[in-house]
Amino acid sequence: MSDRIVGVLLALFAGWYGWEAGSYSVGFGDPMGPALFPEALAPPIGLLGLYLALRPDPEPEWSSGRYLLAQLATVAALVAYALLLQPLGFILATLLLVACLTAMLGARLPQALMGGAATSLGFFALFDWFLGIPLPPGLAFGG
Amino acid sequence: MDTLFSLAHGFTVATQPVNLLVAFIGCFVGTVIGALPGIGPVNGIAILIPLAFSLDLSPVSALILLTSVYYGSMFGGRIASILLNIPGDSSAVVTCIDGFPMAKKGLAADALAISAISSFAGGTLATIGLTVLAPTLAMAAIHFGPREYFALYVMAIVIVGGIATGNPAKTLVAGLLGLAIGTVGIDPATGIPRFTFGAYELYEGIDFVIVAIGLFAISEFLVYIEQRRSGPVEQVPVGRRSTALRRLTYPATSLRAGLLGFVIGVLPGAGATLASFMGYALEKRVSDKDGTFGKGDPRGVAAPEAADNAAAGGSLVPMLTLGVPGSGTTAIMLGMLVTLNVQPGPLLFQQQPEIVWGLVAALYVSNVILLVLNIPLVGLFAKLLTVPPHYLMPGVVTVSFLGVYSVNQNSFDLLMMVGFGVFGYLLRKLGIPLVPVVLGIILGTPMEQSLRRAMAASGGDVWTLLESPLALALHAVTACMILVAIVREARRRHGEAAAARGA
Repeated sequence: MSDRIVGVLLALFAGWYGWEAGSYSVGFGDPMGPALFPEALAPPIGLLGLYLALRPDPEPEWSSGRYLLAQLATVAALVAYALLLQPLGFILATLLLVACLTAMLGARLPQALMGGAATSLGFFALFDWFLGIPLPPGLAFGG
Repeated sequence: MDTLFSLAHGFTVATQPVNLLVAFIGCFVGTVIGALPGIGPVNGIAILIPLAFSLDLSPVSALILLTSVYYGSMFGGRIASILLNIPGDSSAVVTCIDGFPMAKKGLAADALAISAISSFAGGTLATIGLTVLAPTLAMAAIHFGPREYFALYVMAIVIVGGIATGNPAKTLVAGLLGLAIGTVGIDPATGIPRFTFGAYELYEGIDFVIVAIGLFAISEFLVYIEQRRSGPVEQVPVGRRSTALRRLTYPATSLRAGLLGFVIGVLPGAGATLASFMGYALEKRVSDKDGTFGKGDPRGVAAPEAADNAAAGGSLVPMLTLGVPGSGTTAIMLGMLVTLNVQPGPLLFQQQPEIVWGLVAALYVSNVILLVLNIPLVGLFAKLLTVPPHYLMPGVVTVSFLGVYSVNQNSFDLLMMVGFGVFGYLLRKLGIPLVPVVLGIILGTPMEQSLRRAMAASGGDVWTLLESPLALALHAVTACMILVAIVREARRRHGEAAAARGA
């Protein structure tokens, strides 16, 4: 079933992609304009999508229960990290992220906090101080 | 003679202190990346690229760094295979078959030494092959025009589907999706934004670094959560080497497997994993007279290790001489070089020989460094395997974010990386391979350029693409690969149907 859905999605994507590409034209009559390549890509994607929809592989084993929850929580944590990295600064944001992920993977809370602190301080020292790659300092160093 | 002269010049580049330092660091980091299950060469190298940019390394130093990481990861993969029976990366899967039984017999140190020496032999053999073959191929490729290049790019995308395991339709669609992702951004020829949805962050296109790190590193973490193993894994102690070092070499095995691996590496689409499987299979057929393979035969350790290291060297040949990578790792290296304004291909050999030969010479150096690192220091790398993954994996995620952040310093890129991570995870679950996606993203721009140049030269006639004999020959190879893929798919379906009836 998953393959059928993916196949249909691919075919729809190919249709949209080819149609959207068709709208890219330049006035000065360039026959090899920006539409050519995407328009050439769309049909094979669509056909392969239809093939998958008609002849799907056996169903993969999707994760469920607490594993699925853990994955969703991870994605949420990563999104939050992406948004908070600049306002909070590297050290604090990384401490929180690593502590959350480590705790989720089965460490106790004190250990997870230690791991987070070690990771964030260690990487900050290595990259910002030693290698000179600037990281957002954020709150930890007064902005 | 020319080659020897150029190589000698290359050694003066490779032995500059900064390049030696970079090679040493690359070898060390590469071995670590290879040794740790969960970080393979592709995502390891993808994570390191932005760091190489931020450090303002010259193109040749950056390339030396990444190739030493690549060679190093081929060395490192075997450590976890032998000690834990868990391959450090996919090209070390076969090493488990005889490596772990050897370790169980108390011969772990021997197995590690044998595989290090064999890796060295395979890697050096491939570097010699690269030295000999690359200038010749580059000379031949100098006459390639846009039609020939277009044919080569099509072949690179399609051939993966003919050779790789799994559903060829899915492999092919992965490559096409990569090409489609590559079209996002302003069209360089006309300045028209394509598929940007008005988001100005997308005008410069989607940086391959973001896609590669998202697809490989972030999705790996999501897969890891699901496959979490309960409890610590038993590690066999390294122990002491029981035999003298010089009796741990298997020259015939290393030579056979190394040659085979190099050839497989040169072919686009195959790569180190296939090479290690075929190297093992060949050795088993040639040497397994007493049925000792699978029970801890040292030749079963030596063969795949020579083959995968040789394939790593071989895969650099098409990337350097044609600018057409055949594997995920070399595709990412190509992407990095293009970002640094270096265009691999035949002209590189004429215009910037110090890059090519500096790299080749550095590969000889790296191999020696790796051998030296891996024989006495193997205990240190083995120690690393005892660090619990729940500390390591979040660290890898952090470095991924760090790398992507250093490219443009904005949150948009980070969110996009997470998005590609989820996308990569779904693709993995569906059995759609990730390497062709990255290959497509990197090849998309040059492929489109060569297509448009060829068509513009003929005034828009499609048939011009087939009017060059060489391009026609390349398209014929591609057509054969598609046929092979169709036959394989039919057989696979047939086999599945038969299995379903039998069950």
